Amino acid sequence: MFIIPDFPLGEVPLDLNRNVSSMIPEWMQKIEVGPCACCTASIGKKKGFVQKAISDIFTFFEECLVNDSIARRKGLLQSLDPRVKLVSMVVLIFAVAMTHDIRLLAIVYGLTLVFAYLSKVEIVFFLKRVWVFIPIFAGIIMIPILFNVFTPGDALVTIANLGPNAHLGPFALPPVITITVQGTMLALTFVLRVATCVSSAVLLFLTTPRDLLFKSLRSLKVPKVYVLTMDMCYRYIFLFADTVRAFYTAKKSRSIKSLPMIEEQKWVGNRVGYTLIKALNMSEKVHGAMISRGFNGDIKILQRYSIHHRDYVACVSVFALSIFLILVSQNLVKI
Amino acid sequence: METIFDLRDVSYTYIRRFEALKNVTLSFKAGEQTAILGANGSGKSTLLSILNALTYPTSGEFSAFGAPIKEEVFDTLEDNEFARFFRKKVGFLFQNPDIQLFSSTVFDEIAFGPLQLDLPPDEVQKRTEEVIAMLGIENLRDRAPHMLSGGEKKKVCIASILSTNPDVLLLDEPTGGLDPRSQMWLIGIIQDLAKAGKTIITATHDLDIVEQISTRAIVVGEDHTIHVDCDCASVMSNLDLLMAANLIHRHMHRHGKLLHEHLHAHSKEHDHVHGSSVNE
Repeated sequence: MFIIPDFPLGEVPLDLNRNVSSMIPEWMQKIEVGPCACCTASIGKKKGFVQKAISDIFTFFEECLVNDSIARRKGLLQSLDPRVKLVSMVVLIFAVAMTHDIRLLAIVYGLTLVFAYLSKVEIVFFLKRVWVFIPIFAGIIMIPILFNVFTPGDALVTIANLGPNAHLGPFALPPVITITVQGTMLALTFVLRVATCVSSAVLLFLTTPRDLLFKSLRSLKVPKVYVLTMDMCYRYIFLFADTVRAFYTAKKSRSIKSLPMIEEQKWVGNRVGYTLIKALNMSEKVHGAMISRGFNGDIKILQRYSIHHRDYVACVSVFALSIFLILVSQNLVKI
Repeated sequence: METIFDLRDVSYTYIRRFEALKNVTLSFKAGEQTAILGANGSGKSTLLSILNALTYPTSGEFSAFGAPIKEEVFDTLEDNEFARFFRKKVGFLFQNPDIQLFSSTVFDEIAFGPLQLDLPPDEVQKRTEEVIAMLGIENLRDRAPHMLSGGEKKKVCIASILSTNPDVLLLDEPTGGLDPRSQMWLIGIIQDLAKAGKTIITATHDLDIVEQISTRAIVVGEDHTIHVDCDCASVMSNLDLLMAANLIHRHMHRHGKLLHEHLHAHSKEHDHVHGSSVNE
């Protein structure tokens, strides 16, 4: 501990106002005591757009951290080589995309649930993760296909009776608008196909540590520079997310009244610009740190993989299943 | 002792307007432990950056290991033997750990340096594991940098430069933001490295650590020039010099009914002894 010996420059009588009066303006010396004269606390509107967007982004980042803990569990998929998992997933998605048989799709989807369970992923969490996006991206697209306007067939539910010669602008409509059996099957098949593909991808992300996942892209011949860039993006996105959170928290702590929307938008724009400048500045320094440790533009990645017997079994099984699905989809095998 | 860094009348100006260093003439010998002291903005970090050949003097000459350091030697796409030698020899601990920790896991971060040395993968693995064990950070091995505390980040930063076994260590505010236990740990490591014969140059304004980690002290003033370059004990006992360099200040506090003033180092704790008793 650095200790400076006593070096008295004089002892003076206590005058607490000596510095206060000289430095602090008069208005700052006024102190208002007592409770708020106006009101009781009231409940206002729900979160604004900016606040909601920021809190949603942080929820996503927190989920990413949870995911990282899942990837470190000792489960079935966690024990497999990331390259095997990545290649298997790509092959399986390709095969599923070609499959039209809803029974086969249901079986493959069921398998993803079984693998999630064996990989110690909570099933409810897994289902939520997959099915939150399916209605948005697949369901909405497929709604028109349900109706006999687009998919003629056997009526399942009658929606409206329009009578003969019904038109929508230049388009002729059928006399009765129905949801058809064929349309429903088509929509269900599509949704199940998307759900199976998304489930496979989510399983891969949940059960593989991010660094290994990026490195395994090398097995698909993705250039090193992209692997390194993705890796660093993932590392720094958390840092900048914290910075953005700090901006917002600081603003919130000093916001005395709510501002008009245009002012909020200006603030967001201003902070976006500042974050960009900060990111550029930091990227230069990070590059300096890389150079300082010997980086000369030639990217070197340490790949620590060890293929086990189970990896071969997994790889062969997924390839066999995928080939079977493709053969069925091409009517080369009848079931 | 062999001179490793030699600066002759070096100045550095940011964007041709803001002076960061002015007419600096210094040399550093192998095996020395030196503290560069100065207030915020005095130019300590710029000086370290020049010593690490990340920034080049606007004017003056800088040579390292007997060779002139010029932008053309380092900032070239072609592989350069001297640049490789220099990067192997000199390790730089950045003030901000988030700049230094750019890999996605602690293991990859520590392995980054040895990989650049073109060591075989087994050797890289072995070295990395040994540095992890030496610093006792086995529990952080697979963690991402954003999941580490400030002290843990600093440990990983140290590990990341030690894995290339540099002979010269440039440390920029190494104790900044560390709690007392982490600080003591860091001081211990620096002392061990000094005993092992490493050259250690530390930029700091934390006067608590200066005499523990260095024998020589250089004071950079707020005018960006070198005020003093001599042994630590002389610098630390020269209170007028420390006050002029804004490293200590007049501290005032109450003792009962009296206000008491004395000189005080503004690092962390207000820890000092009083020579005379004060009536309450």
